[in-house]
Amino acid sequence: MTHGAPTNIPTHGPDDLVVRGAHVLDPASGLDGVMDVRVSGGRVAEVGEGLRGTRSLDADGLHLFPGFTDVHAHWRTPGREDEETVETGSAAAAAGGFTGVVMMPNTDPVIDRPVVVSGLVRRVEGESRVRAYVSAALHEGLKGERLTEMRLMREAGAFCVSDDGLGTQSAGVLRNAMLYAKDAGMPVILHCEDHTLATGVVHEGVAAALAGLPGSPGSAEDVATATALVLAAETGARVHVTHVSTALSAALVGFFKGNVPGADVTADTTPHHLTLTDELVRTLEGMYRVNPPLRPEGDRLGVGGALRDGILDFVATDHAPHASEEKDLPLEEAAPGFLGHETAFSALYTELVLGGHLSLERLVGAMASAPGAWVGDGAGRIAEGAPADLALVDLSEEWTVRGEGLLSRSGNSPYIGRSLKGRIVGTMVGGELVQDRTGARFGSRA
Amino acid sequence: MRARNLLSLEETSRAELREVLDLAREHAAGPLDRPLAGKTVCLAFFEASTRTAVSFELAARRAGADVISLSEKGSSLEKGEGLIDTVVTLDSLGADAIVLRHPAAGAARIAALHTGAAVVNAGDGRGQHPTQALLDLHALSDRFGGFDELIGRRVAVVGDVLHSRVARSVIPAFRAAGMELAIVAPRTLLPLEADAWGLPVLPSVDDAIDWGADVLYALRLQKERMTGGSPRVPSVPEYARYYGVAKRHLAAGALVMHPGPVNRGVEVAGDVVLDASSLIPDQVGSGVAVRSAVLALTMGAVPSRVAA
Repeated sequence: MTHGAPTNIPTHGPDDLVVRGAHVLDPASGLDGVMDVRVSGGRVAEVGEGLRGTRSLDADGLHLFPGFTDVHAHWRTPGREDEETVETGSAAAAAGGFTGVVMMPNTDPVIDRPVVVSGLVRRVEGESRVRAYVSAALHEGLKGERLTEMRLMREAGAFCVSDDGLGTQSAGVLRNAMLYAKDAGMPVILHCEDHTLATGVVHEGVAAALAGLPGSPGSAEDVATATALVLAAETGARVHVTHVSTALSAALVGFFKGNVPGADVTADTTPHHLTLTDELVRTLEGMYRVNPPLRPEGDRLGVGGALRDGILDFVATDHAPHASEEKDLPLEEAAPGFLGHETAFSALYTELVLGGHLSLERLVGAMASAPGAWVGDGAGRIAEGAPADLALVDLSEEWTVRGEGLLSRSGNSPYIGRSLKGRIVGTMVGGELVQDRTGARFGSRA
Repeated sequence: MRARNLLSLEETSRAELREVLDLAREHAAGPLDRPLAGKTVCLAFFEASTRTAVSFELAARRAGADVISLSEKGSSLEKGEGLIDTVVTLDSLGADAIVLRHPAAGAARIAALHTGAAVVNAGDGRGQHPTQALLDLHALSDRFGGFDELIGRRVAVVGDVLHSRVARSVIPAFRAAGMELAIVAPRTLLPLEADAWGLPVLPSVDDAIDWGADVLYALRLQKERMTGGSPRVPSVPEYARYYGVAKRHLAAGALVMHPGPVNRGVEVAGDVVLDASSLIPDQVGSGVAVRSAVLALTMGAVPSRVAA
């Protein structure tokens, strides 16, 4: 029984392929320069210069990164296949350079029983273009009351557990669940939100005050983050704090990592919290409702600095498709959530790397190396024997985000209309191109 | 002859255990000559109990003692009389031994400070349940052919160690008897410092079999641990899958024990309770002889072979 991602991707390619002349950048393996990568049998066979193979892909002028891993996505399956399916969600992920994705359990039905886990695992095996990992619920119905059958769900193929979307409200209940998850051998992904404080629809700040929107203070996240970190340290459970959006929560993560030896804690933040602020809610448009909410510039900078410094380990998109009837509404009535897969790299490259706030190497580390290491299975690095999960990127390509151009079944991207730089040209999973804009770059017997 | 107490087995020795078990064997062999004639044994049960109370009462009567029971409805205990007042009252009435069951750990120790009578702990909160561990050792000695045959045997204590007074007596007593122990439990049913006893903690009964367990000692799982406000385990199927003793474990050569009452299909599969490899009936059967021996020893009603 493996607990890795089920996938329909063949592990053995028909023959060798040499990706020729790309600038290979992989912080995990220490690669940074123009070289060739030979792929065989679904794995990286060789990295070097002047490599030979039966087929070649001319990657001159392109960058080659380890495939990205997104540990936070909502593919709305089962239950809301009108918004996203495993097929469209994985296509969107591949378009964004992601080769591994963790699916959150707040579906209908909730992924909280072994039989539901095995059903979803079967769908992933039949439909997913990328490696997709099932996160099961921490509590039945995500209600924060009864533990789920974590050990049986792990045997059914679940990879981790989470009450994402709601968070666990009682510290006692959460502590108990962490202890049980530790026994089950599964990491816990925590959505930190205190519902007694999070009573609004946007961040409680200047923008909310001026716009007349009910706000949730930053403390709604910070209090829950602090609780989660304290419990993680005490129980020794493997805990991942997702979508950190405030400077204080990031600092709390940093404190526990630096000062509390027992804490097995990682954390991520999202592309939108790194690039957008609550100024956008002044539009009152439903599009800009998201949870945790967009924060003021000070939080954006604090979270960005924490990502740069490695306090926040990686980026996860919280890809959250919504039907237009749930987003084309006044902000107060709209469903919270943004698409994330297809714009993540380009938005972060444009805003943070080209803006001079983050090195390209750190961005690749935050999208590929660190989350890849978190899911394991050799993901997130280009090295002999590692899975041939790769992202081929043209950093010079400029493109404008348009709803009709997205592969997701939904269109709720906050970047629509924006011009971004850097675009995924090809995404390879197990040696197979699952996203292919390579055009005429292929040749044989090169 | 002066009174001894039986409060805890935390510091027990092999010699002490042997003394009790040897005398219990004599009691089990047939009625002795009313060694407790003229003695008064008081049962003070501050917590509901059927089998332990009945077993003690039978043990006292068979040995010839007079028995006063404060466990019944309408007693002073039900009216809310406190622990110390009750003990002092029983002492004044001339009790020679007080058998105490109480919901708080340490109750027997406090009681012993306020009486000259022998205090026998019949279970105090999550603290100790010494006579249970003694009767377990009696049943095990019978099965393995003698107390010395227990040395080196491997016992896995399975289940709710956190809330179990049985575990807190069984672990030190079995160790003193020379047995090797391991714990099988989810962390939600263990103290945070799970290695408080310095024992290996295994993730399932299957792992205990791999570890080489000769005996699987299943602890009772209170229903509220599964269905209460914040349950410690998710479901009966999941608990039974990893922490339940099943036929396949007995087929691998292990014996099963349980202090009772058993939740069939939870801690122990229904078809295992009365299996030939089950010591559960032997445990109950050992109770009277062991408790007679304990009462006799604590009241000094037999020549003691070990100085108190």
